[in-house]
Amino acid sequence: MKNSLILDKNYLSYWLRQLRKKMSLIAPVRAGNTDIVFKTVENIHEIELDCPASMPSPKGLLFPQKEDMFKFSKEEINIVRDNTRRLIFGVRSCDMSAVALLDKFFSKDFVDGYYMSRRENTIFISIVCNNPDPTCFCVGLGTGPFLKSGFDIQLTDIGDRYMVETDSKEGAALIKEYHYLFSKAKRSDYEDQYETILSSQTRFEKRINLENARQKILSERISDAFWEWVSKKCFECGGCVYECPLCACFNVLDRCDSEGNGIRFRIWDTCMFKGFTKMAGNICPAEKKGTRIKRWYFHKLIYYPEQFGKFGCVGCGRCTITCPGRIDMATIAHRIDIGNRRRR
Amino acid sequence: MKIKDIYLPLDAEIVEVTDMTPDIKLFKVKPERQFQYKPGQFIMASLWGKGEVPISITSTYGIHEYIELCIRRTGYVTSALHLLKPSIKIGIRGPFGNIFPITNARGKDILFVAGGLGLAPLRPLITQVMNEKKTFKRIALICGSRDPREILFKDDIDSWQKKGLQLILGVRKGLQLLLTIGKKDKSLQGKVSLDKEYLNKPKISFTNAYAFVCGPPIMINPTMNTLSTMGMDANNIFTSLEAHMKCGVGKCGHCYIDGKYVCTDGPVFSFAEIKKYGFY
Repeated sequence: MKNSLILDKNYLSYWLRQLRKKMSLIAPVRAGNTDIVFKTVENIHEIELDCPASMPSPKGLLFPQKEDMFKFSKEEINIVRDNTRRLIFGVRSCDMSAVALLDKFFSKDFVDGYYMSRRENTIFISIVCNNPDPTCFCVGLGTGPFLKSGFDIQLTDIGDRYMVETDSKEGAALIKEYHYLFSKAKRSDYEDQYETILSSQTRFEKRINLENARQKILSERISDAFWEWVSKKCFECGGCVYECPLCACFNVLDRCDSEGNGIRFRIWDTCMFKGFTKMAGNICPAEKKGTRIKRWYFHKLIYYPEQFGKFGCVGCGRCTITCPGRIDMATIAHRIDIGNRRRR
Repeated sequence: MKIKDIYLPLDAEIVEVTDMTPDIKLFKVKPERQFQYKPGQFIMASLWGKGEVPISITSTYGIHEYIELCIRRTGYVTSALHLLKPSIKIGIRGPFGNIFPITNARGKDILFVAGGLGLAPLRPLITQVMNEKKTFKRIALICGSRDPREILFKDDIDSWQKKGLQLILGVRKGLQLLLTIGKKDKSLQGKVSLDKEYLNKPKISFTNAYAFVCGPPIMINPTMNTLSTMGMDANNIFTSLEAHMKCGVGKCGHCYIDGKYVCTDGPVFSFAEIKKYGFY
């Protein structure tokens, strides 16, 4: 943090224009009049930074909803790989933390080549959230609104200028090349940044303590009846899984024509669907809706901390926006936590 | 950085196909490259244009020349596999998963319980145990199936018996009942005791034995439960679980059960683990 730089807001579009010449620039853009989506930017002025969280999350840029894995014919099999150089601008801190966790997940034990080849060719510029949404709760999880590490380049909006920090070689290279746009940060800039972060942290409406919820689940004080009760409100739409920046379950399918040419592709899948675990012979280990919801929460609250030391939730609040039954992570974790206190 | 593709199957030529029962076939496949594996591991059998299925390896590395796969025709991919003839190439990925912890069982009695196709994943383990018989005490196999004709690997069972394996075959009514346990049958308890009739038969000391149970999911839990009530340590009862899998490497999430991936943390689990994670 010692070597932070300052970028004048007027220089930002010039900088992005120059970078766009080398790689494709992807940034949050308003689709129609409502949702914010990440897509390749045509016009730099379209980029929306002061806006609600993008729906869907940017995980689809690294792990697309449908992704070809192999093209095959009778004679040969070709591996499909996406090696496009990309710059993703304007991701939120929570999504950046999610990407860092996905990196660990996809390279643990076995390295997933599809994800990693995309990841290695992608540079992220993340933005500190000055105005968190009412659904956000990253502040309690350490995944936002400001990151100390795990990003390529991080920008903090401090009025008429950006505070610029780098945490990777690739990120530093992007700045070094255009060093004339940046100036060294002064003491007053650090103070402004600190103040911005503090004011942002006070704006969070939700305070969710996932650690309390985890402890309570681990002490086995949450009965199956609770999950049954939760399941009564579940529509099985799978929205929470699709919008979650960390859910990475997929299905693999083959499609081919009569001559034997075809593709093997993977496609997002969700554990909320009944057929997700169904085996040959009609055996279904997670037949009950309550079991499936319990699994989802256990994966995020128990499995992730065990394996990676972090929760499988970054507090982006997308499930809160999506869930029609109001049984999203924030609500359920809060309920588990608060229920505990009442009983005492 | 060049990344080895974990999803790319290795070509393997089918050498021989044998009909075991009307719906079970034994495939002998010869992989393109050397392919080392251990008892308890599985592979993903892949058919371009159809899909992939997890199949346990039923041969022993170093004893059998080819990889042997015992496949029942149940789903989309297995039906397609059943139509294949020798010299056609399929794909295999693996081997994946952990192995049966047989080294800890040295110097103890060993009980195998196989139900139907459950003998397939146990076969490499039994072969290994029978070949190193001196390091173990008494060895028994309870082999159950719905129909006398459906007993698999009869030649192997004969050769194991010659080497001193106690064999208990349950093919008539009793086992039929055993296999219906769990089909949402409310009168479950009476049948578990029937089950016990068979489990009582082998002459081994249950308190100082290791058990390896394989079979349909509806059989595994009652059997392990009974063994545990008969005095066997829950940490010494092992099974090989099955699950829907798409990747075999802990990414696709289909086999995830309350904190464990069956493909990378399993498929071999002890009864203690199964109880702890609430698999059934």
